[in-house]
Amino acid sequence: MNFLDSIKIAFSSILSHKMRSILTMLGIIIGVGSIITIVAIGQGGSMVLKSQFVGSGNNTLEIIFQPDENSLSTGSTMDFSTFTPEDLFQLKHLPGISHVIPTNTSTELLSINDQQVNTNVKGITKDYYVVNSIHIISGKKFSENDFSQSNNVVLINQKAEKEFFKGSKSIGKIVEIRGQPFQIIGVYKTNAIFGVETPEMLIPLSVWPATFGTENIQSLTIQVKNINKVEKTGKEAVEMLNKLKSPELKGKYQIVNLAALKKGLTKVTDIMTMIIAGIAGISLVVGGVGVMNIMLVSVTERTREIGIRKALGASRGKILLQFLIEAMMLTLIGGIIGIALGVGGAFIVSSFAHWPPLISLKVIVGGVLFSMSLGIVFGLLPANKAAKLEPIEALRYEE
Amino acid sequence: MIYLKNIYKAYKQGTFEVEVLKNINLTIEQGEFVSIMGPSGSGKSTLMNIIGCLDRPTYGEYILNDVNILHAEESKMALIRNKYIGFVFQHFHLLPRLSSLQNVELPLLYGGIKKRERYERAKEALIKVGLGERLHYLPNQLSGGQKQRVAIARAIVTQPKFILADEPTGALDSKSSKQVMDILSKLNMDGTTVIIITHDIEVASYASRQILIKDGELVQDGRGRNEFLRQH
Repeated sequence: MNFLDSIKIAFSSILSHKMRSILTMLGIIIGVGSIITIVAIGQGGSMVLKSQFVGSGNNTLEIIFQPDENSLSTGSTMDFSTFTPEDLFQLKHLPGISHVIPTNTSTELLSINDQQVNTNVKGITKDYYVVNSIHIISGKKFSENDFSQSNNVVLINQKAEKEFFKGSKSIGKIVEIRGQPFQIIGVYKTNAIFGVETPEMLIPLSVWPATFGTENIQSLTIQVKNINKVEKTGKEAVEMLNKLKSPELKGKYQIVNLAALKKGLTKVTDIMTMIIAGIAGISLVVGGVGVMNIMLVSVTERTREIGIRKALGASRGKILLQFLIEAMMLTLIGGIIGIALGVGGAFIVSSFAHWPPLISLKVIVGGVLFSMSLGIVFGLLPANKAAKLEPIEALRYEE
Repeated sequence: MIYLKNIYKAYKQGTFEVEVLKNINLTIEQGEFVSIMGPSGSGKSTLMNIIGCLDRPTYGEYILNDVNILHAEESKMALIRNKYIGFVFQHFHLLPRLSSLQNVELPLLYGGIKKRERYERAKEALIKVGLGERLHYLPNQLSGGQKQRVAIARAIVTQPKFILADEPTGALDSKSSKQVMDILSKLNMDGTTVIIITHDIEVASYASRQILIKDGELVQDGRGRNEFLRQH
């Protein structure tokens, strides 16, 4: 009797108890399916997170001002200038730096068409495009003139367009920010983070002082010419800023390492994915115990069959193999169905969450192998029980 | 061929030890047609299990074709059952989900015979018992007599040293019984050793040698049908 014959025997036995086989597989199906779905969603999510950093290649650094703890408690730092136009000017002339990208952000309660919505208003310069890609859906980007002539123009994102205009035409309309009228010239697309998208508007940074009454810059990103000197140049920039800062400013300038941030975020999502997949893995083990239970029942039910097979010359090893293969086939078929459902589930969830499902081959192959090994592990006990049956006892067994 | 010497078998029942077989000495040669008779509880089934390598004596010597069974490993016993012995049981013991042909193929499957040869030999065995037309019937589509004939085909398909039949007519009507016994007689005439365990004198009378067991002991071993029947 070769291996193929054993598989045929196992398969015909599974087919002859269709209902029971399906119920047995259910635990494995759910376990494998949920692992595939969860890992796919998790990896899709972490890819979306990473895509938030698109454009921020390895040669950009964000510089922040970190106030001293005691000055924080007084609440006075908010009023201080973090970056002055002088800082910007000096940074631009540092030899290793190719671009200095200042941005300001303010959350404003805007009221348009009787809709009141909290909106992120960002002031940008033309260098903003170096680190952030903006996908214009309709209308156009800011022109050189918009930046240099401080035009009152605004780009809004899809979410903002939806909130304020409810599908009607937005381009050409006027938005009032802090009493200043801005004309909408384009609509762009932003990625949702975990399905959450906030309304956002971009205005030229050059109109920020006239609108918000301050020339200070909140956030600064520098791009370094030589990718190998990112750290060194960043250090020089921070040293210079710390030298330039006014004495009453308590605190110091620091570098936010985007790469490290990105790595950290990836790690967090990976850990989350692993935890949830681990829980799903436990359900898979429970499914394996289910297979073991059914197989034990099946051995008792088929005691006579085992006796007959033994009388006809089946050795212990062959009976063991027969039941082991049967358990393995149950979990393998369950695993394959689970993978199909898991992939389907990942596509469904991703279509709701608006991010691409990442089905990794590694997880699928791993799922198949794991479910097969579950069959072997949990099939061993029942198969051993079957193999050890004494033929005369088994033949005498009343069904 | 079958050589039993001082066979002794005891089972533990709680703290008691029940002696089922005591000092059995028996030799069966190739080509014989032997019936083993005895009332229920006499130990004839235990003797059959020992001869059939389904059980081992507590002590004593059982030499089958120069192999001492007492010390054989489990896998060796399985091999002996597969190659040397053809079993026929009272309740047929066919696997319900397999067709006649598949049931007859089973011992060949465990004997490692290739698919094509398995099919040919199983078909041939079924033709021999007159079921060449019912190769693909499931057991529940066959009558009792037909089932037993499938079981006989399964027993002879490996061309065993002997056929061991345990009450082969016990679950059959008289017409089917006669059919089954005629087949076994014919197989014996063709040279196959047949051993029947029965409590039916009618069945035992087909054999050329009758052995009687009582209380675990061999009390009578007679040759010739008529002599035996006169005594009982």
